[in-house]
Amino acid sequence: MDWKGYTVIYVVLFAFATAQAVVEFAGLVESAYWIAFAVIMVLSVIKAVGVAAYYQHLRWEPRAVTYLVVGGTVAALALTGAAAYSIL
Amino acid sequence: MSHDHGLPPKSSVSRWFLTTNHKDIGVLYLITALFFLVFGGVLALLFRLELITPGADLLGQMGYNQAVSTHGLLMVFWFISPFAFGFANYLVPLQIGADDLAFPRLNALSYWLYLFSGLLMGVSFFQGTTFAGGWTMYAPLNTPAYIPGEGLGATSVVLALIMFTAAVTLGSVNFLTTMYRMRAEGLRMRDIPIFSLSINLTVWMMLFAFAALLAALMILASDHILGTTYFQYSIDGTTMATDADNPGASLLWAHLFWFFGHPEVYIVFFPALGVMAECFQTFTGRRLVGRKWFIISMVLVAIQSFVVWMHHMFLTGINLPIKTIFMATTIGISLPFDLMVFSLIYTMAKGRVRFTTPFLFSLGALILFIIGGITGVFLGAIVLDYQFRGTYWVVAHFHYVMVAGATALFGGLYYWYPKITGKMYNERLGQIQFGVYFLGFNLLYFPMFIAWETPRRVFVYPESLQIWHSMATVGGFILGASFLLMFYNLFVSLWRGEDAGDNPWAYATSAEWAVSSPPPLENFPGVPSYATGKLEFLDDETVAERTERASGAGHGHAATDGGTAADGGAVTTRAAATATAMEPAHETAGEEHASHASFWPFLVSLGGFVTFLGLSGVRTGSVVYLSMAAIGGLVTFGSLFGMTREPFHAPEMAIAERWPFSSVEKMKLGMWTFLASDIVLFGAFIGSYAFVRVAYGWTAWHHDLIPAEHVTMPGLINTYLLLTSSFLVVLAMVAAERESKRGTVAALVGTFALGVGFLINKGLEWQHLFHIHSEAFPNGWNLSTNIASSTFYLTTGLHGAHVTIGLIICAYMAVRAWNGAYQGDDRAIEYFGLYWHFVDIVWLFLFPLFYIL
Repeated sequence: MDWKGYTVIYVVLFAFATAQAVVEFAGLVESAYWIAFAVIMVLSVIKAVGVAAYYQHLRWEPRAVTYLVVGGTVAALALTGAAAYSIL
Repeated sequence: MSHDHGLPPKSSVSRWFLTTNHKDIGVLYLITALFFLVFGGVLALLFRLELITPGADLLGQMGYNQAVSTHGLLMVFWFISPFAFGFANYLVPLQIGADDLAFPRLNALSYWLYLFSGLLMGVSFFQGTTFAGGWTMYAPLNTPAYIPGEGLGATSVVLALIMFTAAVTLGSVNFLTTMYRMRAEGLRMRDIPIFSLSINLTVWMMLFAFAALLAALMILASDHILGTTYFQYSIDGTTMATDADNPGASLLWAHLFWFFGHPEVYIVFFPALGVMAECFQTFTGRRLVGRKWFIISMVLVAIQSFVVWMHHMFLTGINLPIKTIFMATTIGISLPFDLMVFSLIYTMAKGRVRFTTPFLFSLGALILFIIGGITGVFLGAIVLDYQFRGTYWVVAHFHYVMVAGATALFGGLYYWYPKITGKMYNERLGQIQFGVYFLGFNLLYFPMFIAWETPRRVFVYPESLQIWHSMATVGGFILGASFLLMFYNLFVSLWRGEDAGDNPWAYATSAEWAVSSPPPLENFPGVPSYATGKLEFLDDETVAERTERASGAGHGHAATDGGTAADGGAVTTRAAATATAMEPAHETAGEEHASHASFWPFLVSLGGFVTFLGLSGVRTGSVVYLSMAAIGGLVTFGSLFGMTREPFHAPEMAIAERWPFSSVEKMKLGMWTFLASDIVLFGAFIGSYAFVRVAYGWTAWHHDLIPAEHVTMPGLINTYLLLTSSFLVVLAMVAAERESKRGTVAALVGTFALGVGFLINKGLEWQHLFHIHSEAFPNGWNLSTNIASSTFYLTTGLHGAHVTIGLIICAYMAVRAWNGAYQGDDRAIEYFGLYWHFVDIVWLFLFPLFYIL
C-alpha cells in the first residue's frame, strides 16, 4: 500500500473517533444509553479492524496470522462474556 | 568446537551462566525443577507430619498455612511444568530437526527468570511470613488487609509469580515460532513426534492461559503496592467491613484465576501424555494405535480447556444456567481423554511390552490418571460438587491427576537420561524405585478418598479419620524415600553407568535417537530433511541447490507441507561437505556462525529479581527496599540495552517446513505471537473492568463512582495523538522503502513526539483528577478512591506503560535511522509498527469505555 492509501485510512479513523465523541456531545449517551453504547462500540470495532487490516498489514499476511489474532480475541471475549453473564 | 562459539566447556561453571544452547538450558531446567521438587516435597512431609494428629502442634497454625500454600505453588508452578519444559527444551529442536530454538537468548532469559522467580519465592519466607492463603490465592485473603503482619512476603510471592509468568510467556512465543518456522524439510505438523506435538499444544494453551493469570497477578500486585481496590472490599474509615462499592471482588479473582487454572491442568498434563505416548510406542514396539485420533483428541482438549473453568466455582454465587453449561462442557472434556486412554491401552495390547523403568512409570501414570480422571468426573457434576468441594476428595483427585503427570515425567527422565548423559542408569534400581514410588503414592493419596470428609487446607479433622491420615503420612515418606533411590541411581550412573550409545532403546524412532548421546552442540551432522520420507542429513551443497531451486520458484524456501514424512525412521547421511561448499549456504544454513553464548539474560533476570524484591517493600517507605527497586530497575534496563547491542547470530534455517506461516519471517511471527498473548492480557483487564461494573450495576457506575470532572476531551485528544502516531509509523515504513533517510527519521521522531504528547496529556489529566475537591469526592479521585478509579488508573496505566516501552524502542530506532539504518529494508520498522498499532487498537477501546460510556 502506498502513502495515499494509508492517508485515506487515517482520515477515516480520525473521522470515526470524532463521531464517537459527537455521539456523547449530542446527548445520546444520556438519552438513549444502549443505542449510544452500540454505535460507539461498533465504531471502535471498525477502527480496530481497519488498523489491523491495513496498518498491521493483516490483509496481506497468511490467513493463519489472522486466526492467531482472532484466537486471542475470542479467548478474551469468552472470559469477559461468560464471567459477566455468570452474575446476571 | 565449542570454543568457536564463545562457549566454555561443560566442566566450566561459567558455561552455565553464558549458554543459550537449548540442550544446556534443558539440563538447567531439569536440575532446577528437581530442586523445587525437593523444596516443595520437604514442605509436604512437614505438614504430613503435622497431620499425624488432628491439631496444629508441630508447625503451628501460620506455619501450617504457609507450608501448604507454598507446597502447592512450588509444585504446580516451579516444579511440574518447568520439569516438562526441561525435556521440551532439550528434545523439541532435536525431534523437529532444528539446531536450536528460534530465539536462543530469549530461551536463556526464560530460564533465568524462572530460576530467579523461584528464589524470590524462597526469599519471601524471610520477610516475616510468606503467602499463606492457599495456592489458589482466593480474594480477599490475597490482599494486604487480610494478611497478618506487613504481608511483604505475600507481595513477594505475587511478584515471583509475575516473573514466572513472564518467563512462561517468552517461552511460549519461542516454542511456537520454533515449531512453525524450523521444522525439517518435509516434516508436516501432524507428523512431528508425539512428545513435540504435545508440547506444541501445551504452549498454545500457555500463551493464552498465562496471559489471563498475568492480568490477575498484575492487578493483585497493584492492590498490594499501589493501593487499588480490585480484590478487596470498600475501605470504610479504618474497617473493611462492607462490600458496598465492589460486590464483584471475590468472584473476579476466581474467574481470572480459573480461566488460567483449568487450562493449567492440561498444561501440566499434556507433556506427560506426550512422554507416555513416546514410551508406550518404544517399549511395545508399536506405533500409537489411532495416532490421528489421539492428536485430534488432544487438540479438542486444548480448545475445550478454555470453556470449563467455572466448574471450580459451583459453590459461588454464579447463576444456575451458567453452572449447567459448564457442567456439560466439563463432562464433555472427559470424552477425548477416554479416547486417548483407550489408544494407549490398545497400543499396549497390540504390542510386545518390555517392562523397563520408563515404561513402568508410564504405565503407572496411566493407571493413576484413570483413577484421577474418574474421581474428577464427580466434581464436574454440580450436585456432587456441592458435597465434595473443599474436602480431601478434591485433594486426592487432583493429586492423582497432577502427580500422575509427574509420574510420567519421571519415566521421561529415565527414558532420555541415556541421551542427555550418554550413560545408562541402573535398570534394576530403577524398577525398584518404581515399586517404592507406586506403593508410596497410593498409600499417600488413596486414603484421602476414604477420609474425604476432612476439610481441605485445615489442620484439624475428626479423630475417627486419624488412621487414614497416619497411613497417608507413612505413604508420603515412602514416596519421598523413593526419590533418594532415583537421585542415587542417576547420580552414580553419571560415572559408573555403561555407555549408552546413540540409541539404547530398540524401536525408538524419533530424530533425537539418530544422533550421538549427548548430541553435539549443533545437533546434526548436516541439515535434516524428511523430503524423501525418511530422515536424511543434507550437506551444504545440496542445501544450496534446494535453496536456489526454491528461490527460483519464487518461494525463497521450501514452503509446502506435503510429502510423506515419518515419525523418525531410518537415517542416511549424504556425502559430507567438501571444500567447495558454498559460503552463502553456510550463511543461510547457520551451521557455522550461530551464536551460543550471552551473559545478558542472566543479568536481566538478576536485575528483575532485585527490582521485584525492592517493589515488595516499597509500600513501607523503607530506603533499603526503595534502593533495591531503583538499582534493580537500572540493572534490568541497562542489561536489556546491552542485549540489544550485543552481536548475536541466530540464523533462520535455509530450508524448512513452515506451514502455515511460510511467508512470515520468524521475528514477525514472534511479534504476532506475543501480541496474541497481549490481546488476552488487555482483554482480561478490560474484562475485569466489565465484570466489576456489571457486578456494581453498569449504568449506575458512571453516576455513582465517577466525578463530573472526568470528561471526554482528554481522551479524545489522546485518541487523535495515537492515531496520528500510528499513521506516522506507516509513513516511516514507506520512507524507508524509498530509502529516504530524512523521511524515515522525520516520521519516527514525529511518532515519538506524539507518544510523549500522549503521556503528558495523560499526566495532566491524572493530576487534575487526583486533586479535585467536589462534594462527592472531597479528597480527590485517586487509585484507592473506589473500584471505578482503580479500574481507570490501572487499565489506562498499563496502556501508558506499553506506550512508554514503545517510545523507548522508537527513540532507539530514530537514532539508528539517523545513522542510516533501515534504508531499503523496512522490516524492523514494520515489526515495531505491529506493536505500536496494537497499542493504538487497545486505546480505541479504552477511550469509549473509560471516557464516554
